[in-house]
Amino acid sequence: MMDRFHYRQDREAYSAARVKALEALLIKKGVITDKTVDTVLDFFETKMGPFNGAKIVARAWVDPAFKDRLVADTPKAIAELQLPEGMAGAEGEHMRAVANAPHVHNLIICTLCSCYPWPVLGLPPYWYKDPTFRSRAAREPRAVLTEFGLAVPDAVEIKVWDSSAQIRWFVVPERPAGTDGLSEAELETLVTPEAMMGVAVARAA
Amino acid sequence: MLTQFEHFAVTEMMGSTDNPPRANGSLCFGSEWERKAFGMALALAKDGFFEWDDFRDELISTISAWEAAHPVDRSSWNYYDQFLAALEKAVAKSGVIDADEIKAAFAA
Repeated sequence: MMDRFHYRQDREAYSAARVKALEALLIKKGVITDKTVDTVLDFFETKMGPFNGAKIVARAWVDPAFKDRLVADTPKAIAELQLPEGMAGAEGEHMRAVANAPHVHNLIICTLCSCYPWPVLGLPPYWYKDPTFRSRAAREPRAVLTEFGLAVPDAVEIKVWDSSAQIRWFVVPERPAGTDGLSEAELETLVTPEAMMGVAVARAA
Repeated sequence: MLTQFEHFAVTEMMGSTDNPPRANGSLCFGSEWERKAFGMALALAKDGFFEWDDFRDELISTISAWEAAHPVDRSSWNYYDQFLAALEKAVAKSGVIDADEIKAAFAA
């Protein structure tokens, strides 16, 4: 049936029409409403995702005392922020932040993606569960980071943290230079999931 | 441990052949119909119309069939084309709507 459609745009229109028909039918039958899709996706788009981690890191950048509390007792510090409910519970209760410093770079790895600190970092990238990445990152983190385009100077120690069911780590990257005049909200936009995994650093826009 | 269904459902897919496209920690939809297809599948499974694992079995076999039919040139690949096909099958199997009704609605 699909073979009749040779071009991507034809298939796009075709698939869009199929989805529309299916949705209309499900609404007509009372199985879903026109709000259902937005409600279920709201979880990913506004409740649990990397935007939470970005808020936590940006606060740590503007408030050194918060940063200290964040590293000392991560769930308690996160609970200070106005983040969606569930952040400090469930997944969050095992969360631990490690902060980069001029002489230390932190890298997070994890064998099972179920151990990924999802409420803060969002969904893991493709390569994250790759056994090769994990074993190499543990064995030769400097070489792996170089391949990610991050050359960590020899004078900087690299610490590798393996997330588990007990502890889910995330990195507080260093605040980039040249960002003194930025607001907390502007700083949030500089925090990427990669920087919170430690495979990148935060950079000024 | 208290875990949201949405969280559980998507985490299950990570590292598997049916893992959805994503970028910067977020699900990646190329258009509104892809977002709708994903949202509907998740909502139907959450409400118990079918098991998420059954839907995923459907999706994984749909993807395998596509790959077998496209051994060399995979430039026409779109994850959500497969996702939508699997969703239609899962909906029909669940008995919520029968396959003919889906076809008729699309033809209308």
